[in-house]
Amino acid sequence: MEEFVGEVWHKIITKKTETNYQDSKVTLDDQGARLAVYYRALGGNSAHNINGCDKRVVTTRRMWLQKIAGNGRKFHLTWKNQHGLYLPPYIAQFADKRLNENLYYWLASMAAQETVCDNIIENNRRLTLQLIQSHPGLKRQYFELVDTLLTQRPRYPEQGDDYLQEQAIQASLKNPEQSLLIPSTRFQHHPVPLWIYPSEAYLLSVDDETEEELTGHSDIIDDKKTIKKQAQRIDDERETDGLIIFQLESLFSWSEQVNLDRCEDETENEDSESAAEDLDIISLAKKRKAGSAGIKFDLDLPAPENDDLPLGSGMKLPEWNYKTKSFKKDFCLVQPMLSDEALPCPLPSHLKPTANKLAQLFSHLSCNPARINKQQDGSEIDMDSWMEGLASNFKDTSKQNFFINDKKSLRDISCLLLTDISLSTEAHVSESKRVIDCIRDSIFVFSEALQYSQDPFAIYGFSSIKNKQVRYQMIKNYSEPYSDQVRGRIQAIKPGFYTRMGAAIRQSTLLLEKQPTKQKLLLIVSDGKPNDLDQYEGRYGVEDTRQAILEAKQKGITPFCITIDTKANDYLPYLFGSQNFSIIKRPQDLCVELPKLYLNLTSSLS
Amino acid sequence: MTDYQVQSNEVGIFQAAIDNHLPLLIKGPTGCGKTKFVEHMAEKLKRPLYTIACHDDLSASDLVGRHLIGKDGTFWQDGPLTKAVREGGVCYIDEIVEARKDTTVVLHPLSDHRRILPLEKNGEIIEAHKDFVLVVSYNPGYQNLLKGLKPSTKQRFVTLEFDYPKEELEISIVCQQTAIDIKTASQLVGLAREIRNLKDSDINESVSTRLIIYTALMIKNGLSAQDACNHCLILPLTDEQETIEALKRLVNNYF
Repeated sequence: MEEFVGEVWHKIITKKTETNYQDSKVTLDDQGARLAVYYRALGGNSAHNINGCDKRVVTTRRMWLQKIAGNGRKFHLTWKNQHGLYLPPYIAQFADKRLNENLYYWLASMAAQETVCDNIIENNRRLTLQLIQSHPGLKRQYFELVDTLLTQRPRYPEQGDDYLQEQAIQASLKNPEQSLLIPSTRFQHHPVPLWIYPSEAYLLSVDDETEEELTGHSDIIDDKKTIKKQAQRIDDERETDGLIIFQLESLFSWSEQVNLDRCEDETENEDSESAAEDLDIISLAKKRKAGSAGIKFDLDLPAPENDDLPLGSGMKLPEWNYKTKSFKKDFCLVQPMLSDEALPCPLPSHLKPTANKLAQLFSHLSCNPARINKQQDGSEIDMDSWMEGLASNFKDTSKQNFFINDKKSLRDISCLLLTDISLSTEAHVSESKRVIDCIRDSIFVFSEALQYSQDPFAIYGFSSIKNKQVRYQMIKNYSEPYSDQVRGRIQAIKPGFYTRMGAAIRQSTLLLEKQPTKQKLLLIVSDGKPNDLDQYEGRYGVEDTRQAILEAKQKGITPFCITIDTKANDYLPYLFGSQNFSIIKRPQDLCVELPKLYLNLTSSLS
Repeated sequence: MTDYQVQSNEVGIFQAAIDNHLPLLIKGPTGCGKTKFVEHMAEKLKRPLYTIACHDDLSASDLVGRHLIGKDGTFWQDGPLTKAVREGGVCYIDEIVEARKDTTVVLHPLSDHRRILPLEKNGEIIEAHKDFVLVVSYNPGYQNLLKGLKPSTKQRFVTLEFDYPKEELEISIVCQQTAIDIKTASQLVGLAREIRNLKDSDINESVSTRLIIYTALMIKNGLSAQDACNHCLILPLTDEQETIEALKRLVNNYF
C-alpha cells in the first residue's frame, strides 16, 4: 500500500513540475539511422557513432515544488567528443510530435558544426547564427522551436541574477544575431534543449588517453547500450597508499598489488542497471590496466577436451626470412581445426533484412546473359564477322565463325574468405559490439549472399600461437553446401591468440589453387598488422605476409584485403599493392561492405 | 562558343599538350564538366570533335571501322577514331574503362611517339594527321579490380584531374546555364555540397553539377523546390529509405 501511494504521489508531483509529453515522444532508436546520415551530410565526422546520452546533474535554481518532486536536477544534454555524438535517448519536450522530431535534427545540425568557442552560451549563439544564415528552411524550423520553447522556460522572481540571466538567454534565443553579456550567477543556467554542451561541462575533464579505455570497457549498462554515463576520475596514482593490515614478514609467498578490473563482472544482478542509472557518477580507476600492461606470456592452449577438433596432424609450411632472403623450410605447423561441437542454428534474425536485400542482388549474377561473338554455333548471326568473311573471302571453313552465342552464365570464379580471429578482434567498437561480432555478422551475410551467386566459396578463420600451432579454423569448405551446420560454426567463432598471416595465406593458396575455376579470389578480412609472440611482430611478419601474397599472385590468385584498421594505409599498400585493399572506417559497416565489395570486384568478370 | 567556365589552369595544359602532340587523359567524377571542357577546347581550336561514349559492348571495330555491304559487295567503312586520325580532329573517348579490353590496345600505338593507327582488317597503317588529338576520360570513382585502367595505358597520357567546381564558380555555372536567380542557385549548391559529404559512406555517386542544373531547370519551370530536389537530387542517388528521409530533411533546411 505504501509503495502504491508513493508511486501515485511520484507520478502526480513529477507531472506537475516537468514538461514531458509522453504521447508525442520521439525516440533515438527510431530516428538514429536517419540522424546519422543527416549528421554526416552537414559535415559531422563520418566515423562518429550516434549514441544516447545519460542525464547529467545541473545545479539550477529550482522551484520548491521541483525540490519536493526531486526533479529539475538532471537533464539530457547533447554533447560530442572524438568518438561520437551523444543525443537524448528520447525527446518529449513538445506536445507536437513534429517539433520533437525537428529538435533532434536541429541538435544534429548544431553538433555537426565545429565548436567555435569555449563559452557555452556564446558558442551556441554563434553556431545557431551560422546555421540559420545559410539555411533558410532551418531558420524557419528554429524559430518555431524557439517560440514554443520560450513558453516553457522557468519563471524566476523578477529581481536577482537568475532572472537577468534567464532574460538574457531568452533574448539570445530569440535574436542570435546579437551578442549579449550573460550575467553569471550562483546557479548554472537552466539547460536549453536546443543547445549542445561540452562533454565535461559540469564535471572534471577526462584525459584523452584514458577516455579510450573508458568507452572501450564501459559495459556498465548492457541493455541500454547507447547510454553514456558521466565519469569521474579518482586519484589512485599513489600506489604506495595501499592498506596492508598484516605484517609482510608473515607471508609465505611473495605477491604484488593487482589492479582487478571489476567493470567486466559478468554476473551482474538485474538491479545493477537501475543502480547505475541512479548513480550520478561512476568512479573508475585511472590505472586499471597497469597490472597487465608490461607482461607478455604465452597463452596456454585450452585443454584438449574443451578445444575444437584438430583435423589430422597438421601441415608443415615454410616461412620467409627477410634477413637471409630465404625460406625457413617446414617452419610453421598449420593445424586445421573444426568446431565439431557447434550446434546447427538459423541465420540470426537481425541480419535477415540485409541478407534478403543482398540475396536479390546476388541472384541476378548467375543469370547474367553474356554474348560471345565469332562462334561456330549460336542463336544469332554475327553480322560483323559475316561481313568480314564476305570481304576477305575465306576459303578456310574453320575461320567461318559467324554466330553469336548467348551463354547464360560465364562466371568462373571461386572465392576463399579468410578472416582474422585473433584475440585483437575482441576489442570493442561500441558499447555492445566487438570486432569479432562485426566479423561474424559479415561472414553470415557474405555466405547468405554468395549461395545465390552459385560461385563456389569457402570460409576459413585463422589465429596462431607462434609457429608451432597456426590454427586454421574450417568454417566451410568448397564441397560442403551452406547449411545450418555451417551457420552454427560461424556462430561458434571465438577470438583467440595471434595473427601469423603468412602461414594462413599460404595454406589458403594451396586450397584455392586446386579449384578448377579460371578466376580465384582470396578475400582477407583483418583488423591489423600481422603479429605473433616471437619475432613475427614488426617487419619480419610484414615481409613474410608480403611474400605469401606474392606467391599467391604468381599462382594466378587475386588477393584482396578488407580491413577495419584505420591506420592500414601505412602498410597495406606494401603488402597488397595500391589497388588491392579497402579500408572500412566503421567496423559496423563491414557486413554490408564485404558483399558489396565482392560484387564490385567480380561483376565485370562475366 | 560554348559557355564553359574555366576552373583552373586546364586550358593552358590542354594547349601545351596538343602543341607537343601528346595525348590527354581526363579523370573526374560523373557530371563535373569533362565533356563540356573537351567540347569547349575543340571549338576553341576549331577542329572537328568526334565523341565516342564507351559501353561494355563497345569493341575495337566500333572505333576503328568495319566492312559493310553496299550494292557492289562489301566495302570498308572508317570508324570515328580512324576518321579523326585521317582528317585531323579531336577524338574524345568518354568513360574508356567501360569499353572492352581490346579497345585500349588499339590506342597504344596512337598515344606514343609513333602516332600511327594500324588497321588490322585491311592491312593499312595510317599516320595520324598533324591536327589529330586523342583525349580519353574516365571516372576513378569505383574500385573494381578488373575494370581499372591498366597502368601501362594510364602512363601514356598527360593527365588532367577534374573535380566539382568551387562553390562560387558552381553557383555562377548554375546561374549561367539555367538563368535561375542567384539565391536559389546558391541554396542548391549549398545543398549539393552537403550531400557530397555522404559520398562513400551512404551514397555511391555524388551530386554532379549536371544534376544541380537539372534541378534548377525544373524549378525554373515552376516545379516546387522540394519536388525538384526530391526528383532530381535525391531519388537518382539512392534507393535506401532511411537515406532518402535524411536527404529530404536536408532539402527542408534550405527550402
